[in-house]
Amino acid sequence: MPTIEIEEKVFEIDGNGFLTKPEIWDGEVARLIAKYDGINELTDQHWAVINIIRNNYEEKGMAPMIRQICKGTGLKLRQIYELFPLGPARGACRVAGLPKPDGCV
Amino acid sequence: MTWYSWLAIASLAICLAGCIYHLIRLIKLGKPKDYSRKSGSPGSGIIYSFTGAMNPVNKESAYLNLPTYIAGVIYHMGTFLAIILFFVFFFTTTLNKMITLPLVLFLFLSAIFGTGILFKRVTDKKLKQLSNPDDYISNMLVTGFQAATGIVLLIPDASYPVYMVIASLLLLYLPVGKLKHAIYFFAARYHIGYFYGWRNVWPAAKHSR
Amino acid sequence: MEKTDDIKIKRGLDVLNSHKDSKLISHLNSCVHCGLCAKTCLYYLTTKDERFIPARKVELVSSIYRRYFTFTGRTFPGLVKARELDDKTVEEMVDLLYGACVMCGRCVQHCSIGVDIEYVVRKGREMLAEMGYVPGSLQSTVKAALETGNNMGISYEDFVDTVEWMEEELQDECNDTEARIPLNEHGKNVLYTLNPREPKFFPLSISAMAKVFYAAKESWTLSTNMYDVTNYAYFSSHPGEAKKIAQRMYDEMHKMKAKRLVLGECGHGVRSNRWEASNYIEKEFPFEAITSVELMAEYIRDGRIKPDKERIKDTVTLHDPCNLTRGSGVIKEQRYILKNCVNDLVEMTPHGTDNFCCGGGGGQLAMSEYNDRRLKIAELKIGQIRKTGAVIVATPCHNCIDQLIQINVTYNLNVQIKTLAEIVADSLPV
Ligand code: SF4
Ligand code: SF4
Repeated sequence: MPTIEIEEKVFEIDGNGFLTKPEIWDGEVARLIAKYDGINELTDQHWAVINIIRNNYEEKGMAPMIRQICKGTGLKLRQIYELFPLGPARGACRVAGLPKPDGCV
Repeated sequence: MTWYSWLAIASLAICLAGCIYHLIRLIKLGKPKDYSRKSGSPGSGIIYSFTGAMNPVNKESAYLNLPTYIAGVIYHMGTFLAIILFFVFFFTTTLNKMITLPLVLFLFLSAIFGTGILFKRVTDKKLKQLSNPDDYISNMLVTGFQAATGIVLLIPDASYPVYMVIASLLLLYLPVGKLKHAIYFFAARYHIGYFYGWRNVWPAAKHSR
Repeated sequence: MEKTDDIKIKRGLDVLNSHKDSKLISHLNSCVHCGLCAKTCLYYLTTKDERFIPARKVELVSSIYRRYFTFTGRTFPGLVKARELDDKTVEEMVDLLYGACVMCGRCVQHCSIGVDIEYVVRKGREMLAEMGYVPGSLQSTVKAALETGNNMGISYEDFVDTVEWMEEELQDECNDTEARIPLNEHGKNVLYTLNPREPKFFPLSISAMAKVFYAAKESWTLSTNMYDVTNYAYFSSHPGEAKKIAQRMYDEMHKMKAKRLVLGECGHGVRSNRWEASNYIEKEFPFEAITSVELMAEYIRDGRIKPDKERIKDTVTLHDPCNLTRGSGVIKEQRYILKNCVNDLVEMTPHGTDNFCCGGGGGQLAMSEYNDRRLKIAELKIGQIRKTGAVIVATPCHNCIDQLIQINVTYNLNVQIKTLAEIVADSLPV
């Protein structure tokens, strides 16, 4: 099982860098993964996106549609792509501690 | 007729039978069945497969590996020459002096390239991993055959029996080892020509480069 | 890894023993181990790992074929290195055939002989799929498609909600409250298809294509039942599952009574629907299946849309999806479109039928197992893009786009990545 180490903390991840145990996720983990992706500070806007993704995952077991993220945060699409340069899946969902979504992402 | 002529003729018959077996199997399995709507022409694809696509300018395997490629081409030309001479020798082993010398030189040159290719096969790490005994045997048989053909041209009487034994071994081995690419080369090129022709990928000239 | 058993081995070998025509034996018997294909493959070029040479992938499959189906291999296995289909072989096959080939077919056109290396790899994958050895993450994408009708498991409500949202965007953009994204309308000229990643995460390409349709006054529709252009079973190479997915699209075309099936920007989706699908279901399509790239080129040629190239001044380069060029013969059309829609187009070297894969092909993007390799082999594409000096990379494939988005960040490339529909839409005056 691959792992990554960020600031001396070690996480089990799949090859794509998604957490294999989403239940270990917390705010600190989010901050560390974001940092690994070059997002040095998680702003309120980042957190708004992360929380919606996380809640959807805990309720329905999958990532929400980008539509729900926009609705819930009031952010424009382009703002979300700017907040997470790796995109909603590889970027935001990963920071939110989700396993990798299926398909071309 | 001498024992070695009999041996060579028997080997030739077995070789032909083996090749015909492969051919019949290919023909029986038949040409590609494709249910998709074609957008190009399989016929032009096949023609291109044997012409333009074989042009070294279009082939990285050729232009990125020029020395090996040239050695390979000469080696194959040497083989065709030796095969032609094999049949000529049934009638005569003494040719006009004017042509004997160039032929001998070419055959020896080709055999040297063959040896070079064999040498590369055992020294180059990636080739060595890819090779099996069949590759070595096939190379040695063909290289030996070319060299022996050259020697027959120089000293026919002394070398002919040995030559015929080498030729027989080669003929017997051809249908079972990798030398059968003499047949499957055409089959494979036919199939990629058909495939790319069907989908309008080949002939490549259509797509302005 | 689960151990092999007699039933599995038989299933695997059956793949090598069933012949529709002479193609399989032609390609399994013809490699001469010259090794000259090494430098055509992006895996070998970027890693210099000998295991990744195309011929080694062919060799894995053909050595099994020799062991069980040829006189020489059965009698003298050592002579031709004929291999048993056992646990060790299977493990190596999974690693090399799933994990170290993007099925780009680049090696095929350069092979000294003409071995269809990519086809042999697919046959090897087919053996593994029949034996139950598809990598977990790839199989889960196939499973989502089989169970929910799209490979991301998007619900009907979510899909409709997203399309309506994009319809609003379209109306804003066109300044016309009548502009529409029609759903489930029968008897239209065009049934359009999407990559599910569009509605799920990147919907702007939907409204972009809708804008192109709007400008061309096309009669078109999307189907909520079957809009997924992908067929991941093409990558896993499970013929039964691939057939089910292909059949679904065929049935939908009949139900919707559309004239043309228009395949969205997705390389393998085009390949699997345009070519392989008829062969999976063993039926000729009674309707026309074309790519949206060809359609947009047609609109421009016929004067149905009038792009203004002055609107896009940045330098643009084009990334060719392997399955569109070598796999489908669509080569000129994307260039024709770009020449009409952007001011400054710079080609990569090499391009067209000689292009390099972005690194995400062959199902690699879905497989977490081989992520590190996928990022490594992208070095070639990064180098190619850098050399063009382009600011925008256009590519008609959502799979390539996702790989490009990731390597753009990983390698600090700083380019924008767009679909062709987005480029065309941007170039259309409103
Ligand atoms: S198809 Fe592409 S990735 Fe696969 S062996 Fe050939 S060149 Fe390499
Ligand atoms: S170039 Fe073709 S014949 Fe030569 S080793 Fe590669 S696959 Fe085999």
